[in-house]
Amino acid sequence: MVENYRHLYVIIEHEDGKFLPVSLEMLGEARRLLDNFNKKYSTKEKVVAVILGHNIKNISKQLIEYGADAVIFSDNPELKNVRNTIYTKVISQIAQDSKTLAEVEPEYASEIKRPRYMFFAADSVGRHLSSTVLAELESGLASDINKLVVEDIELSHQQKTAGKKETYAKTLEMYRPDFSGFLWTTILCLDNRNPAFKRDYHPQACSIIPGVFEPIKPDSSRQGKIIEFVPTIDEQDLKVKILSRKIIESEVDFDTPRTIVSFGRGIKDEPEQNIKIIEKLAKALNAEIGITLPISKKPFVVSSALDSKYMIPDRVIGTSGHKTSPLLYIAVGVSGAMQHVWGMKDSGFVVAINPDEEAPIRNECNIFIKGRMEDVIPLLIEEIKKQMQIVEA
Amino acid sequence: MALNVAVIIKLEPDFSEGNVSYNPDGTLNRAETKNTLGPHSAIAAQAAFYAKVMHDAKVSIGTMGPPIADLALQQAQQISDADELHLYSDKLFAGADTLATAEVLKTGIKKMQGKMDIVFSGHRASDGETGQTGPQAAWKLGFTFLGNVISYELNLETRTIRAKRMISLQGFPDVIEEVEAPLPVFISIDPSFKSNFNTVSQRLAFQKYQKAATEKAKNYKDYLKIFNAKELGVDETLVGLPGSPTIVYKVERVPKSTATRRAEVVNGSDPVQLQKVVGRMKEALSAMVIK
Repeated sequence: MVENYRHLYVIIEHEDGKFLPVSLEMLGEARRLLDNFNKKYSTKEKVVAVILGHNIKNISKQLIEYGADAVIFSDNPELKNVRNTIYTKVISQIAQDSKTLAEVEPEYASEIKRPRYMFFAADSVGRHLSSTVLAELESGLASDINKLVVEDIELSHQQKTAGKKETYAKTLEMYRPDFSGFLWTTILCLDNRNPAFKRDYHPQACSIIPGVFEPIKPDSSRQGKIIEFVPTIDEQDLKVKILSRKIIESEVDFDTPRTIVSFGRGIKDEPEQNIKIIEKLAKALNAEIGITLPISKKPFVVSSALDSKYMIPDRVIGTSGHKTSPLLYIAVGVSGAMQHVWGMKDSGFVVAINPDEEAPIRNECNIFIKGRMEDVIPLLIEEIKKQMQIVEA
Repeated sequence: MALNVAVIIKLEPDFSEGNVSYNPDGTLNRAETKNTLGPHSAIAAQAAFYAKVMHDAKVSIGTMGPPIADLALQQAQQISDADELHLYSDKLFAGADTLATAEVLKTGIKKMQGKMDIVFSGHRASDGETGQTGPQAAWKLGFTFLGNVISYELNLETRTIRAKRMISLQGFPDVIEEVEAPLPVFISIDPSFKSNFNTVSQRLAFQKYQKAATEKAKNYKDYLKIFNAKELGVDETLVGLPGSPTIVYKVERVPKSTATRRAEVVNGSDPVQLQKVVGRMKEALSAMVIK
């Protein structure tokens, strides 16, 4: 059977010639996924890294070491910083340019039309870029993915297959955790085979949560093709002028402190009072304060001083925020949703304070203090003051 | 010269305590949870209100949703003093993914009064959380897309916008990027957006429009137009399920992770046990860090 879609394209992000960690993580996962894929289907589809920028030819080669079979790069002063319109146009051109597709794999030159799969980073850049590229390519996109599997899927769907049972071969199952962290939704991007509105939907694309996948160990003996794509740049696509770029230092520091105290929805009985108690605990331990994702959605009404200081996205620990690894991590009223656990599981020693012994956080801590935070924390602070002056000094 | 701005918004589960309901297994109980204007949609409406106060902009708001989504339009009108409310509601729109939703919103925005100079969307919905619908609607409209905007200023003589964008990337410090672009633009508003009204005349204008907004929102139905698929004139194969490349294949509980640490359970009301806990904490903190 002739297939018009082959390969997995990974859109690489970099800042001043340094790759973002997520770019290498995506390449690692792409490598593992396609190694299995090629074995299973006895084929030789490629991991293709796509990188745009200025003076990037040299760093492009490194992407081979991190798992790419081919790198397509576009080097142009207009691509120095990411601007959505021109980046969307160039990536879409790369995904459809027959000459470039032929260079990736000459033996399929006459058949291949587009990539089969595409990965973007689920960050400030990739989230929007993936949206606009897939709007341009008119195909499907799932966001914030943390697990990927390729399967032949048999299903009947009222719209997609007009209710008939059909097999969708080589379908990418894209798993995304929901906001609660307790549900996993699998998204599929499927062609419409319904005769009433037949349509091909390729590439199957997703954005991937930073920090979830492991990069492979760079191997300088790996071989691959480096392909230059010279884009067509229209003045119309350069309307946005970047006037300045300023680095800002975050007020929240999760890297230096040896202790982090985090809180979740368990503060609900008396949010204002409980945050103040947690502040005291953090002060006694010289700790930074973190929160779970639901707290950043401001579910409780507290004084504006506490609200603007603590219930902010910058303090979120977990896949939607920071990954931390302090010596001591104290989780107060935190249930232990998967996303949050990802952000704290590398901590040295973990203490949880929670009245519910069944809370999943119990599986992630060294000591589980069963009790209400209102009762436990004051006792704990008293004890800390007795025992730990030396640590504070 | 006149300025026309639009906002696209969403009715979402109300995550505030007392309104949200969770199932015993920790998942959202949608039947018991109330609905409200999404918090990011509310910030997008504030951004439009800024254009109203500063430049007397005409504000139009659009949403795709069930008939009860008119509640979100009313709430957004109260924030933005909107002059026109659009609800795109049809069974044919149900089950839409972001691409099919963007198609409806694009078509709706084109039906609003006047040619749009700016369209605002929120950062992301608090239930779906994809953040894709805004940029996809922008692309379909052919508007320049500016994401994560934290503040903006307009020059109506040159018809340009200057905006500050917040860029957060893993492993790098955050960057604030200042950009300039000719109108029209499509902006997704960052959660940290703030509008500042510094002069007396701006504050007076703010009060005037706020008062007007309250009056309008009381009679929001006078400003409301409801469109079904036919009235909107969308291509039915590009909306709802037929227009959605993606489907939700399955929803499952995230499997319980096997215990990574062997937790010792301690009674929180027992001072003797807590004394030992603090001892263990002290030990942990004195560990050597080798990185």
